[in-house]
Amino acid sequence: MIVAAALCPHPPLLLRELSGGQDVAADLRRACESALEALLASSPDTLVVIGGHDTSEGHTGTLVPVREYGGTGERTLRERPLPLSLGVARRLLDSVGHHGHVEMATVAWDASEAEVAAWGRRIADRPERVALLVLGDGSARRGTTAPGHLDRRSFAFDEETRRCLAEGDREGLMRMDPDLAADLMVTGRAAFGVMAHALAERGPTRPRVLYADDPFGVMYFVAVWPCDC
Amino acid sequence: MNNERCERRTHRYQEAEDRPAPVPGAAEAKEDGRPVLKLRGRHYGADTMLVMAIVNRTRDSFYDRGATWDEERAMERVRTVVAQGADIVDIGGVKAGPGEEVDAEEEKRRVVDFVAAVRAEFPDLVISVDTWRASVGRAVCEAGADLLNDAWGGYDPGLAQVAAEFDAALVCTHTGGLAPRTPPYRPHYQDVVRDAVEATVAQAERAVSLGVDPASAIIDPAHDFGKNTWHSLELTRRLDEMTGTGRPVLVSLSNKDFVGETLDLPVGERLTGTLAATAVCAWHGAHIYRVHQVRETRQVLDMVASIRGVRPPARVVRGLE
Repeated sequence: MIVAAALCPHPPLLLRELSGGQDVAADLRRACESALEALLASSPDTLVVIGGHDTSEGHTGTLVPVREYGGTGERTLRERPLPLSLGVARRLLDSVGHHGHVEMATVAWDASEAEVAAWGRRIADRPERVALLVLGDGSARRGTTAPGHLDRRSFAFDEETRRCLAEGDREGLMRMDPDLAADLMVTGRAAFGVMAHALAERGPTRPRVLYADDPFGVMYFVAVWPCDC
Repeated sequence: MNNERCERRTHRYQEAEDRPAPVPGAAEAKEDGRPVLKLRGRHYGADTMLVMAIVNRTRDSFYDRGATWDEERAMERVRTVVAQGADIVDIGGVKAGPGEEVDAEEEKRRVVDFVAAVRAEFPDLVISVDTWRASVGRAVCEAGADLLNDAWGGYDPGLAQVAAEFDAALVCTHTGGLAPRTPPYRPHYQDVVRDAVEATVAQAERAVSLGVDPASAIIDPAHDFGKNTWHSLELTRRLDEMTGTGRPVLVSLSNKDFVGETLDLPVGERLTGTLAATAVCAWHGAHIYRVHQVRETRQVLDMVASIRGVRPPARVVRGLE
């Protein structure tokens, strides 16, 4: 039984030590922590974390992949670091003091509609109280200095995502065009779809968007979908 | 640089007999009778440090923003940098980052005749062309280019073949697998230096297998290409692992974002940071420095060469009177 879902972005700069002397993502991190607190207030038995990545698979590690993205000094070779999205989730959970049961998995950016739906159903069908944390990002093509430069189609695409998140429109998120999402470097498309499918039967009661902005040319969304239970 | 100066400089290095113990990184790149670097007929030893001046025939490159778009302005720039002591000019017709679309024909229009004009005015200057396209590479080699600076890591596999055909040198860069003109999006590496060494050496080995002279297969870690600032800093800190391969190493540091982010400075205020990075790369034994500011770079390289003990000071009297 799914009791709540939340969505956070996963830029490396949410890992505080990676942005150097200045904390450039302080507002975004605070919004993510608020979303997690709201998610965990649903008193779940299990927290399922689904993050976008190159491949779909389960992960049991805990090492946040800081050194792959920057920093200095030695690398920890004893343990394989988590993929970025799950590493950001692990760090955010630590920062809000969550030490309960967590299951983590990645869903491939380019996962098929059927795969995305299956992920969502598997989460929805669980008997215990499950909270779902999804990590995914909007377009990385929102300006001439954005990672993917400027593609004006990204604005309408991201605005539709924001509307779906604000209104709890699961079908809207399921309808996302995978090819256009790939063109626009929307790495969260599959992850958004998992969230929509997980709540397909049991819709969110008071969907809220806590953050929707693109300070560095990439669209970040923070949203909470509590369910009436 | 003309041949006479080239020989003089090499000779001068060889005369420095009382040099101290080798510096880190230079240890494995010692001269063993063969040149470490060869640029179409010109031979250089392990301690060589050459300045490659950037000459853009673009409207939109990040630093000069079209200042030498006009052909006569570009030729003036060549004259200036040669007078300032540049050893190589690197002529580019396409901005590295995203921007105005430039197809192969337009790129040729921008650079081929210009290379011919530079060759005519400076018969002995080493001319490099910054291109990833084999068709452009062929045209500029026919016009007199000596070096193909493939900033996009062998994206067009035909470029190495062109270098081999013309006995030109080839720069083999590390881009983390990006397509040309793509900025990095969350690049990550288990070990960025190892990745850079493996990727560039593999490209160099392929080029050599196609017939490029080993001393003309130059490797470049490509600061900021497919890398964030942390990665570029680490490549600088550990550049001895690239020079340790024994292959000639080029670095392109000039006014780049890793300098800007490190010091929180805009493009026009990055010279000091660039020169600091230049000094570290020089200490590690890099051979070619691709730069906007020639005179300042030359001073840093000469100073570091003297600190390394491979270049005598220009004039010493104090305390020796």
